[in-house]
Amino acid sequence: MHLTATQRRVLQVLQNGMPTTLTPYQDMARQVGITTDELLDLLRKWRQEGVLRRVGAVVNHFRLGLDAGAMVVWNIPPRRLHETGRLFAGFEQVSHAYERMTTEHWPYNLYTMVHGQTHEEVRRIVEAMAAAAGASDYQTLRTERELKKAPPTYVAQ
Amino acid sequence: MDDLDRRILHALQHDFPLEEHPYEVIAAGLGSPAERLIERVRRLLDDGVIRRIGVSFDSRKLGFPSTLCAVRVAAERVERAAEFIGRYPEVTHSYLRDHPFNIWFTLITSSQERITEILQEIAAALDLAPADVLNLPMKTVFKLDARFDAQTLRPAGGDSR
Repeated sequence: MHLTATQRRVLQVLQNGMPTTLTPYQDMARQVGITTDELLDLLRKWRQEGVLRRVGAVVNHFRLGLDAGAMVVWNIPPRRLHETGRLFAGFEQVSHAYERMTTEHWPYNLYTMVHGQTHEEVRRIVEAMAAAAGASDYQTLRTERELKKAPPTYVAQ
Repeated sequence: MDDLDRRILHALQHDFPLEEHPYEVIAAGLGSPAERLIERVRRLLDDGVIRRIGVSFDSRKLGFPSTLCAVRVAAERVERAAEFIGRYPEVTHSYLRDHPFNIWFTLITSSQERITEILQEIAAALDLAPADVLNLPMKTVFKLDARFDAQTLRPAGGDSR
């Protein structure tokens, strides 16, 4: 996708989040140097095209009491991968479910992020997922610590 | 956190309006004045319950390749490795996990070449063999929904694809 100079400027202003004011779009548009309507029209267009995924709050789930989380990596036979991915996506405790490339020594092709209040709860959910999928080759990688979480930088400041 | 906070968190994660006065629209739905709403929002931001309010993009559609990576580093070198990896602005998430591959991080970059370059720099700086580094680009998204329900303590659901 080719970005115009104005679109790059919009990304540069938006990438670090909105100001917490009653008129965030107006304030950001002023920073970009376009009108509020121009900014809102571009964002609506991007939303329609799927470029804009979501507008709103990014919540820290650790602070909500979801202290236990794990990435579970699954080795699923290729012919059953899409069916299993959709099955796992249906679990409400799963926030992310992706197919990823494998490597010679890393055979896992399906990745799920599973959330719970305790590790015991996460363990039970993972067992239920494995049973539902008939999967036996998987590993649970507990989240021990968040080392970094930052919004992407699309355009250098 | 009270009931109003929970309802605010729900509204802010689901239907943040693309309108000139978004908080007026949300406030009307909550039956609470916009000034009171934004005061609460600022407090939730200060408390760290809300990390930020913003726009999330599909990086790939903007033309920015991304990938999930992992490195296998000795326990006594984790802090130094985490610090080195975290210094890259292209590293957006990084987690310590209980596995021989102990540091997992996502890269969002301007080009595929940049991904290769960063991984080479990390491997060199941390003295890692090729087998100690995983680069696992995504092929299919089945679900991506990082919204969380403060009431049920569950991912908020409803956005699977």
